Amino acid sequence: MSSKIAVQVDDLTVAYNYKPVLWDIDLEIPEGVLMAIVGPNGAGKSTLIKSILGILKPIAGSVSIYGKSYDKQRSLVAYVPQKGSVDWDFPTTALDVVMMGTYGSLGWIKRPGQKEKKAALEALEQVGMLPFKNRQISQLSGGQQQRIFLARALVQDASIYFMDEPFQGVDATTEIAIINILKALRKANKTVIVVHHDLQTVPEYFDWVTFLNVKKIATGPVKDIFNDDNLTKTYGINYKVSIQK
Amino acid sequence: MSSAQLEIQLIASLVAIACAIPGTFLVLRKMAMISDAISHSILPGIVVGFFITQDLNSPLLIVLAALTGVITVVLVEQIQKTGLVKEDTAIGLVFPALFSIGVIMIAKNANDVHLDVDAVLLGELAFAPFDRLLISGVDVGPKSLWIIGIILLITIGLLFAFFKELKLSTFDAGLAASLGFSPVAIHYGLMTVSSVTTVGAFDAVGAILVVALMIAPAASAYLLTTDLKKMLFLSMFFGVFSAISGYWVAHWLDASIAGSITTMLGLLFLVVYLFAPSKGLIAVMYREKQQKIEVSLLTFLLHLKNHTEENERHVNHLREHINWQKIRAKTVVDLALKNNMVTIDNHIVSLTKKGDEFTSQAIDYIITNEDAQIEDMKDDFFLFRG
Ligand SMILES: Nc1ncnc2c1ncn2[C@@H]1O[C@H](COP(=O)(O)OP(=O)(O)OP(=O)(O)O)[C@@H](O)[C@H]1O
Ligand SMILES: [Mg+2]
Repeated sequence: MSSKIAVQVDDLTVAYNYKPVLWDIDLEIPEGVLMAIVGPNGAGKSTLIKSILGILKPIAGSVSIYGKSYDKQRSLVAYVPQKGSVDWDFPTTALDVVMMGTYGSLGWIKRPGQKEKKAALEALEQVGMLPFKNRQISQLSGGQQQRIFLARALVQDASIYFMDEPFQGVDATTEIAIINILKALRKANKTVIVVHHDLQTVPEYFDWVTFLNVKKIATGPVKDIFNDDNLTKTYGINYKVSIQK
Repeated sequence: MSSAQLEIQLIASLVAIACAIPGTFLVLRKMAMISDAISHSILPGIVVGFFITQDLNSPLLIVLAALTGVITVVLVEQIQKTGLVKEDTAIGLVFPALFSIGVIMIAKNANDVHLDVDAVLLGELAFAPFDRLLISGVDVGPKSLWIIGIILLITIGLLFAFFKELKLSTFDAGLAASLGFSPVAIHYGLMTVSSVTTVGAFDAVGAILVVALMIAPAASAYLLTTDLKKMLFLSMFFGVFSAISGYWVAHWLDASIAGSITTMLGLLFLVVYLFAPSKGLIAVMYREKQQKIEVSLLTFLLHLKNHTEENERHVNHLREHINWQKIRAKTVVDLALKNNMVTIDNHIVSLTKKGDEFTSQAIDYIITNEDAQIEDMKDDFFLFRG
């Protein structure tokens, strides 16, 4: 882990219909961490990611990626949305969805070609979904759909990965496959930010954590701040978690 | 066939194609209702345009009407944004209001011109060939043909240029935004194309047929394919097919052309809805029935696997034991026999090697839900096709 700051968020406030759901968030994410964002349902975790990625306009505050605005650094960032945010009945195949990850580097109008297809096939291979490349996406199981989304982010070949609940609805095998890919990304000095619900696995999977519930409760190394105090502040109830070093 | 007949069919076909393109994306975005809203609420735009230009053929009419279409979309979205009502309610609030403003404006001021509500709703394709475009005195064809032809060319050009962007922002607006393809710009682009197409088409075919041509072919195609490009081509084909067959039905029955085309579209959708190979009603019902039988088959095989003693495997005992009616039991036993999964010897049923392997595999799948192992079984059995 180097001392560079990959993502910096200053005084971010975000509202839907003038009702703020994120208040005055300050956040520094160092390069090369594998970070969990934890917080209860409706805490604003997805909203935070969407605002960092310019999908939502904040009413105040700013975001920078390696010191520059997101618009200038798009190509450094990959995004895995929450699985339920798209219509899986859309008429398209697994391969085609993964190819969408290459659209950013193509820019407007230009079409994907052989190079993009090759990259997509490699990403499918990486997540173990190559045999399903021509499968219509509604014919995939939930865990397979999640892997397709992961492959789509991998194909972006970014420096920073934002993933909204990549473990949602996946079985143990897929969860291990995914976390191994994330750990490999961190090894390659990529920064990986993951919205995560399973508190039990936080110490095992992640080295950095942010507690969020409308406001930022705490952020830092898991070994320093992943404790009952912060969990209680975030979830409002006393959470008993066994923390393994 | 006279040249007027040919021209009518040509106009109707071009309108069908021009409608199918935005229609496909509207259907995929679950925005079918918005085309209804646009088609009705452009009326005041046309009327105002007419007051300004005093000319029903002025291009300004198209511009103003298309603008009203986009305003409709904005209004609907603003009302929806308040969070007080859902989208369909917002649409229901906006378009009758705008449409009735248009109707009142016609009634009050434009009684003497050929702008009546019937013509707006139903159009009059039969008259389209009589309204000719003259360029320095030379007749170059029906005006509607030129208008819709130009709109179609622009639509096809835009579709080619922005196919990838349209697909991405329709499937996953969040990713589109994060990659820098403004979904808002694409959304309004699509709304503008839909509005312009509606305006260009409705003089010839009327508001109702425009809506039908946008939605019905795309909805039918959606049931038939899992590929966006094929869906686009199928919707265009369905649109043209309905346009031409509708024309001839009207011709033979001496009925309204727009009405016949709309009827053909409805029939087409009905046929597809019933008979589509995998998403159609009959296919779904057949599949459910098949799955039921297969579950029974599996239960039956499992019973055989678990009981080696002969009295448990006697045909009569099975009937009592599994508690199936005669017909069901016979269907299941026949299916097992047909697939060489069991043999019956002197009223005693035994699993074959194949049957035994199949049972283990199937149970394994049901427990682990691991897909890879049963890829080869999917072709034979519905149960494993999700
Ligand atoms: N499009 C929207 N319009 C209005 N309110 C919204 C919208 N999206 C989210 N909200 C509200 O904003 C708050 C934060 O939502 P967000 O989706 O960011 O939560 P989250 O932490 O990701 O929750 P979850 O764990 O359920 O995914 C919630 O109260 C939610 O109801
Ligand atoms: Mg969320």
